[in-house]
Amino acid sequence: MEWELSSILFAPLFAAAVIGIFFRKSRWTGAFLSVSSAAFAFAMTMWLLLEASVPQFQSSFELFKLGSFQLDFGYLFDPVGKNMMFIVAFIGFLVHVFSVGYMKDDDAKGRYFAGLSFFMFSMTGLVLSSNLFMMFVFWELVGFSSYALIGHYASTEAAREASKKAFIVNRVGDFGFLLGIIFCWNALGTTNFVEIAQIMKADPSAASTGMGLLILCGFLGKSAQFPLQVWLADAMVGPTPVSALIHAATMVAAGVFMMVRLTSIGFVTPEVLDVVFVLGALMAFCAGLWALGQNDIKKILAYSTLAHLGLMGAACSLGYELAMFHLTMHAFFKAALFLVAGSAILACHHEQDIYKMGGLFKKMPITGVTALFATLSIMAVPSFSGYYSKEGIMLSAYGRALSGGAFDAFVLLLLLGASALTPLYMGRLFFNVFMGRPHSEAAQHARESSLWITLPLLVLAVYSFVGGFSMAYDFKWLGGKMDFLMPSAATQFVSEIWDIHYLGLRKLDGAHAFETALVLVTVVVFGFAYIVYGGSRGCDILQKKLPPVYGALRKHGWFDVAYNWYVAKVQQRFAILLATFVDLMLIELLSVRGVGVVCAVIGQGFKKMHDATSNSQVKWLVGGVVLLFVLIYF
Amino acid sequence: MQYFHSIMLNAGVYAPLLGAVVIVALWTYMGARSVRGIAMAAASVSLLSALSLWADYFLELSAGGKGVAVFSDYMGFLPAFGLNGISMPMYALAGIVGFAATYWAVISKMENPRLYFTLLLFMQGGLMGAFAATNVLWMYMFHEFALVPTFIAMTIWGGAGKRIAAIQMAIYLTLGALVSLAGIIALYMQTDAASFEFGAIVQAMAAAPLDASWQGWIFALLLFGLGTLVSLFPFYSWAPRGYAAAPTSFAMLHAGVLKKFGLYVLIQVAVPLLPVGAIEWGWTLAVLALFNVIYIGLVTMAQRDLKLMVSYSSVAHMGLCFLGIASMSVIGAGGAVVLMFGHGLSVALLFLLSNVITNRTEQWDMLQMGGLYKQTPVLAAMFVMAIMASIGLPGFANFWGELSVLVSLWNFSPAICALGATGIIISAVYGLRAVARIFMGEPSEWISKRFGAIADISVKERIPAIILIAALMFVGFCPKSVTKGLDADMKDIPAYSESK
Repeated sequence: MEWELSSILFAPLFAAAVIGIFFRKSRWTGAFLSVSSAAFAFAMTMWLLLEASVPQFQSSFELFKLGSFQLDFGYLFDPVGKNMMFIVAFIGFLVHVFSVGYMKDDDAKGRYFAGLSFFMFSMTGLVLSSNLFMMFVFWELVGFSSYALIGHYASTEAAREASKKAFIVNRVGDFGFLLGIIFCWNALGTTNFVEIAQIMKADPSAASTGMGLLILCGFLGKSAQFPLQVWLADAMVGPTPVSALIHAATMVAAGVFMMVRLTSIGFVTPEVLDVVFVLGALMAFCAGLWALGQNDIKKILAYSTLAHLGLMGAACSLGYELAMFHLTMHAFFKAALFLVAGSAILACHHEQDIYKMGGLFKKMPITGVTALFATLSIMAVPSFSGYYSKEGIMLSAYGRALSGGAFDAFVLLLLLGASALTPLYMGRLFFNVFMGRPHSEAAQHARESSLWITLPLLVLAVYSFVGGFSMAYDFKWLGGKMDFLMPSAATQFVSEIWDIHYLGLRKLDGAHAFETALVLVTVVVFGFAYIVYGGSRGCDILQKKLPPVYGALRKHGWFDVAYNWYVAKVQQRFAILLATFVDLMLIELLSVRGVGVVCAVIGQGFKKMHDATSNSQVKWLVGGVVLLFVLIYF
Repeated sequence: MQYFHSIMLNAGVYAPLLGAVVIVALWTYMGARSVRGIAMAAASVSLLSALSLWADYFLELSAGGKGVAVFSDYMGFLPAFGLNGISMPMYALAGIVGFAATYWAVISKMENPRLYFTLLLFMQGGLMGAFAATNVLWMYMFHEFALVPTFIAMTIWGGAGKRIAAIQMAIYLTLGALVSLAGIIALYMQTDAASFEFGAIVQAMAAAPLDASWQGWIFALLLFGLGTLVSLFPFYSWAPRGYAAAPTSFAMLHAGVLKKFGLYVLIQVAVPLLPVGAIEWGWTLAVLALFNVIYIGLVTMAQRDLKLMVSYSSVAHMGLCFLGIASMSVIGAGGAVVLMFGHGLSVALLFLLSNVITNRTEQWDMLQMGGLYKQTPVLAAMFVMAIMASIGLPGFANFWGELSVLVSLWNFSPAICALGATGIIISAVYGLRAVARIFMGEPSEWISKRFGAIADISVKERIPAIILIAALMFVGFCPKSVTKGLDADMKDIPAYSESK
């Protein structure tokens, strides 16, 4: 299986290199190569998932060795990896196809597709890595591809700042992550997931909270959680397909994937999980609120992504299969929503303000239907895919609050708030973009996008609808004949545990009432959203009636303000102080030049004394005689 | 094979020196074209020597051979040369960067090319010899050969502030070299060795071990003497302004290769011979090195001048190499060598590309640039690669070095490890800032006036950059090519293998 995995991994890298070197300026060759590499990777992945019967494959190859430190380049293709690999290859392929339509007028297509292929390479590597060091390598590489793609429109100020910010904020997270990995290697002697699993099985006390907390930093950076969430909303200046693939479906979910992988092998202690639990829930709630303060369609979706990543984080602590389940469903409906946004933006000539759109449902039926399906899915309306995963998470949180203390109840409240906010901001988006009447010239003349765009949309609409059902119950459509739509190898990781877990949850006191209430709340809030935000006003009612509240939401917790203040007023000033005062004044001028001056002065003094006049010669003579006497007699 | 190796090794060292001698001997007959031809030929011989020996060395190791593949003193009166796992990457680095620097000089215009190339070839020969010599005194002598041309070149072809920078650099580096010479002589005298030959000193020390206080003293002399050559805090202030003023080829060779000599001697000679002294000074070294990483890193952030930024960043990166040495382990010291290799290539590349950029913008201030990528996409891509290599992105050699050093530091002290790791954030801040300021965003007022006339990096200029990038990525994808020899040889050095 090794060469198959290698071909999945390296085909996109090869495509990226060839495009970068030879087809930088080409109109379509680069796109063709990139899309074919993604198609190849997808086909190969599906083939492996459908045909290969090995439940867990691992390999290793020594990359380098120094003393006791040996770093292996290895693959681990186990159920959780298969699940993630399916998402990456599947969504990746769809986004590649979508990009052909979306980027058709871009004059840097070569760079774009090379970047996209490079991302596929890095992301695949991250999923397949068999140890933490290797994961870190690809972790950095996805960070780089994200940087490069956010900065695609490099001549704009926004892209310049956002790409830099994304990379640096991620590096802050990686700093902790790397220390955690090093800690792990020193404490356990290995970072291989399979070996860690064995160690933890033999001695669960080998897991340490410090180690887990450090590694958690990686999750906070990559998945944009408190307090490192600031980069994600800015990252939306990248091309929309990039936002769909990298900043919604796969890369930001890599943090969750890593946590799931480590939780499932017993690496993460309950204390760490408590931290993720509350941080995630907090993010889910706050990001839901902040989404109401944005008018840019992509930023609303970005905050919604933050909220759902928070939900997944919290789910890690409730049962890692729930997090993976929601990750998969989220990949479907959020990718769909972003692609919908891309289609709408393209149709409205790069207008991103939802209040300048409107009435698109009639003009763009396919985009509209996809948007509807994805919206119903993200709101967790029963029988849509998002419902299955979210219901599991909410029920588990409910169960935990029933038997737990105030902490668990608090988190449950946050999660309830978050799930009530979802229909509100999604309704706001949907009603203003697709219903009512158009509010700009561009929206007036919007037309349905080309097949390159609508086909991926339709596919994702289908998955936003049925994905959850087949994943939750490992359902075999038509007796397994439709397995290729969602290979059971990819769903096994979740369905195996979920069935049992879910049955247990159903037996909780009031579980049924809780579920019903959740659905009711969703419907009611969606209706409420229509009353408040619907009706095609062309402006935000909150912005008009309660500007301070709207402004506060818009500022999303003043994190950016605080960080910008820190960077500009503290860090940069401190650096300038060091550079001018310490480096230039103290060291360069005072010490170095100072020594020079002292030497020069002493030299001048000696020179004065050696002026070879008779006067000074007498002085030297007398002085010498006195010195001689002193030396002799004392 | 042995015969072939020694010929290659001697050729690599003597070809540039011979080239310089030929230019001097035929001074009046030398035109601008012929000196360029001689320089190019000599640098090619060095490159060929470096690459062939490296390849052979690696193949022999992979086949299960014993590493010390190269050794030559068959001429009797010539200094003995040899390469082991530690010096092999350095020798290869000198060959590669030397070739790129010479190539860059060959395609650029300058006054008095005869003198320029004489000095450059002397420097190149000195560098190859310093890493090939097995005699500690010869290491030192070859280093001086390489050092002196820098000062002369700076005073003649240097940029702004060259006089003071050159004097300061000369005083600092001569002083540093003298202190380390004192250390080398003390080592020789105290061990009562038969000669300055490294093997002889090892033998003498095995017979009569040096007591702890002498070890401490000698190590201190070597540490601070060599530390000054490598710009260890607080003896660094010659470096930034010196590099900023030096002509590009010399800056590439000095920052890329010559500066690594101090670290190389510490790893190859000082720590293995004086482990007790090294342990005694370990914490001092680590703390000073942290200043390099954090303090110089912050100073780098505040730079607006592109060349000063690159120079300061190179001082900052030396901190991690020192930390690797302080950890006194195969992982740390080996990682330091990998990092030295990677950093040598990446900083040379950065100097080269900075020159390409400023040739076009006629401006050093990064705030006065902006938006250049539209005119210079290939240059922008190369610069991004250089920055990414230098801030330790996987796929380039530097990453493996930084990673190994940090891994080794945890055992030394988790706190030092954590502080040292802040370097990955700090370097990202200034590195990406440079990319953003130069290539992204809107062109500044200054640059927009000449924006249309700015051309992308020419094919001629691309060649040295591609060589450096290729070497960086080769080791980035195949770190074994360097670490295999390091691992094999360092395992046998008790100072590295016993402590951890």
